[in-house]
Amino acid sequence: MGLAGLPLATLLSIFGAASALVVVFYILKLRRRAVPVPFSRIWDNVLRDKQATELFSKLRRVLSLLLQLALLALLVLALGDPKPKEDLREARHLVLLVDASASMKAVDVKPSRLFAAKAEAEKIVRGLGTSDRAIVVQMGSVPTPRSSMSGDQTELLQGVASVSASDTKADLESALSFGRDSLRGLPRGEIVVLGDGAYGDTSELSKRVSLEGAEPRFVPIGKSKNNLSINEFSVRRYPLDKSRYEVMLEVSNLTDTPADVELELSGDGMVVDVTRLKLGPSERLPRYYQDLAGASRTLTARLKSAPGSDELPVDDVAYALLPERRRARILLVTQGNTYLEAALLLDEYLDVTQVTPGTAVPEGRFDVGILDNVAPPLAENIGAALYLNPPADSSPVPIASTVEEFGFDTWDRKTPVLRFMSMGDIQVAKGRTFKPAAGDKVLGASDQGPILVSGARAGHRFVALGFDPRDSDLVLRIAWPLLVLNTINAFLEEDTGYVSSYRTGEIWRIAVPGSLATVNLQDPLGVKHAVPVSDGRAVFRGELAGFYKIFGGPDAALLGEFAANLSDLDESRIAPQQQLTLAGKKATAVSISQASLKSEVWIYLLLAVLLVSVLEWVTYHRRLTV
Amino acid sequence: MGLLELFRPKTAQRRVEARRAQLFDDDFQKKLESLAIVSRRVFAGRMRAERRSKKKGSGVEFADHRDYAPGDDFRSVDWNVYQRFGRLLVRLYEEEEDLSIYFIVDTSTSMGFGDGRKFDQARRLAAALAYVGLANLDRVTIVGATDAVVSRMPTTRGKGRIFKVFDFLSELEAGGTTDLGDAMKTFVAQHKRRGLAVLISDLYDPAGFERGINTLRFNKFEPFVLHVVDQNEAKPELKGDVRLYDCETGEEREVTVTDSLLEDMARAFSDYQKNIERFCTSRQVPYFAADIGIPFDELVLRVFRRGGFLR
Repeated sequence: MGLAGLPLATLLSIFGAASALVVVFYILKLRRRAVPVPFSRIWDNVLRDKQATELFSKLRRVLSLLLQLALLALLVLALGDPKPKEDLREARHLVLLVDASASMKAVDVKPSRLFAAKAEAEKIVRGLGTSDRAIVVQMGSVPTPRSSMSGDQTELLQGVASVSASDTKADLESALSFGRDSLRGLPRGEIVVLGDGAYGDTSELSKRVSLEGAEPRFVPIGKSKNNLSINEFSVRRYPLDKSRYEVMLEVSNLTDTPADVELELSGDGMVVDVTRLKLGPSERLPRYYQDLAGASRTLTARLKSAPGSDELPVDDVAYALLPERRRARILLVTQGNTYLEAALLLDEYLDVTQVTPGTAVPEGRFDVGILDNVAPPLAENIGAALYLNPPADSSPVPIASTVEEFGFDTWDRKTPVLRFMSMGDIQVAKGRTFKPAAGDKVLGASDQGPILVSGARAGHRFVALGFDPRDSDLVLRIAWPLLVLNTINAFLEEDTGYVSSYRTGEIWRIAVPGSLATVNLQDPLGVKHAVPVSDGRAVFRGELAGFYKIFGGPDAALLGEFAANLSDLDESRIAPQQQLTLAGKKATAVSISQASLKSEVWIYLLLAVLLVSVLEWVTYHRRLTV
Repeated sequence: MGLLELFRPKTAQRRVEARRAQLFDDDFQKKLESLAIVSRRVFAGRMRAERRSKKKGSGVEFADHRDYAPGDDFRSVDWNVYQRFGRLLVRLYEEEEDLSIYFIVDTSTSMGFGDGRKFDQARRLAAALAYVGLANLDRVTIVGATDAVVSRMPTTRGKGRIFKVFDFLSELEAGGTTDLGDAMKTFVAQHKRRGLAVLISDLYDPAGFERGINTLRFNKFEPFVLHVVDQNEAKPELKGDVRLYDCETGEEREVTVTDSLLEDMARAFSDYQKNIERFCTSRQVPYFAADIGIPFDELVLRVFRRGGFLR
């Protein structure tokens, strides 16, 4: 036992001074109040019987003084904060990484792995020594601190309680880096991972992360690896028949035994298809649903299995959203272009208005204007423009040169304008190359210069093609209608590159119409998040699977919807690990003080003071000590 | 109103009226006029009054006959006896004389203890009883006593002298130690004419209350004991550790006052009072406890009459 508070010499000084004060007060108390009585002989008669106990009375007075001195001694000792010697060692600094990934939603440990992990974290917090400090970190797709580095158990316990599970994978590397940085410069650092250890192969971590002296600890959670999951789910409309769509999904059996599952596909809340599947051990089974109809917006896939064969419910459901179908108004300005008109006829959802160059633009809002061999100033009621062979004097992109006999030598394979297209074998007889302005993006170029450029002018997005399609074999290829429709869809944000669902834990960039600076994103739980919009896209890191809605504008109108899924087979592998090697070191069990309260001796001293005070109070009022 | 009172200065008259008002009012005074102090014994008087005496004289109460002697008043010859027996006998009547009543007021410090209510009660009792005595043409003497006779109002009679009584009583002050034995020795030495001796005291005598009473008894006085009692002294409002000191002797006692101790004190106080009463009763000394809690008029008009002290 040692003193963590005031040193012994100081305590003795305090006790000496205070006890002197107590004795003085005691002596003053003994100077009784003088009270006159009319006839003391009557009191003599009364006191005669009390004389026998006078010696005992004196003893009781001494006892009263001793009690007061004992109280004082206990208080002074409490100031010294006595502790067991093991508690006087150098303080530990712990980073509690509470795994909050999707796999922690597994229910093999009731009620869930996360609940068990939080219970273990609470045990560690309660077992901290008085000088120990800790920080609670939620380990999800990004490490999120839930408390400060503190020795305050209340704050730490609140931090543990605030940890919530997400539908993302755990980024152990980032969490370890965070823990290492938190412990930098602090003695006796320990990084404690509380989780199922299902983080894939951690052997490579030692090459990327150094713990810099911090000791890795591991508290394993979980006991079963049985899981069935939908790890892929995607949907798209047919480009040429947007009333129909196809679905691709993949079901995985992550157990060692065969499994019978029922796969249910719902569209807009109505069951579209139910399939019974037999999955072999560790089998991944892709499924395609072609030529589906009946749903106009939402699609949900749900996996049902026998009890005990699937411990992780979160990956049994997958969500997807069909691209919105709406009629787009197209203004076609041309002297006549059969190929162009034919391409536009392929999409029944296009309302095409054709005018000849020089005529006034009809009233009403047009989503896209297609300007064939003309490039007049764009009217305000036209949202975006596709320029085909714009004249040199009025081209939105300056003309660099006139070229002949060329083709697409390079093109942007990821741009939605050229999606599903092979441009390499297109031959062009004559045309022009562009000199893109700053901010313009070259989508395709010949060896002599850019020939397909996108950008924006005065708030109008555009795509400019540097040659007349009729001067090439492009119009004879399937690429031609795709180029036209892809461009229109790109402008309408419902191109074939439409993302039917995002993956949780990643940064999403969701297209937002208009020029809003922020939008409100409503997650599947109904919680709204203010999300900044950058370059027309809302940037958000989502951690929950389900359907999201975007609201914005002055009237907080619904701007769009999208879906998010876990879609991570590694996270669906929930087999718990009993051993964990972190940064080249084998993580050991964390040491928990069995009774931290017992080490707080001062509490017991104060309780003793309280007890003695009550004892003194009772005995005083019963005249036992006076 | 007497003639002298017409010439009494008005300021002095007001002062006397105020003092009398402190003691009792006019209505009460009229009630007192119908009372008389009862004496069980017959004492020799000095002047004709309304008390029976051992002397035979010109009273109205027949006492005896004796043979006629020359010089006797013919009006006193009992002619009926002469007619029947042929002897000249003279009627003898009881002579009515006055009675000496002494009021011995304890003026020790203990009588003025606290708010002095005991002392006030004692003076009011003395005044009321003195008025009764004066109204009956008794010879009234008042003395203040502690361990000696500290003051004395000369013997007086006639209710017109009541103001003198008031003045004397008003000027009495409580102070000094109690020693009734010594005080009564002085008293009997100063007063040769025997009579009633009304002792008005709280009887807080460290040497024992018996000595004073016995001194009166042994010297042929008829003692009456009016024990002035304050029940608050039986239950003092004390708590905790205190140092008690006697207001007369200064003797000190260190006491831790508890509820049980207060109960013992009340019991001891009651025992002390009973002890006095027992002593007086056993010696045929009239004893009255004049509790200051009892209204003064009730004490005088009912309690004293019911006890035979007044009639």
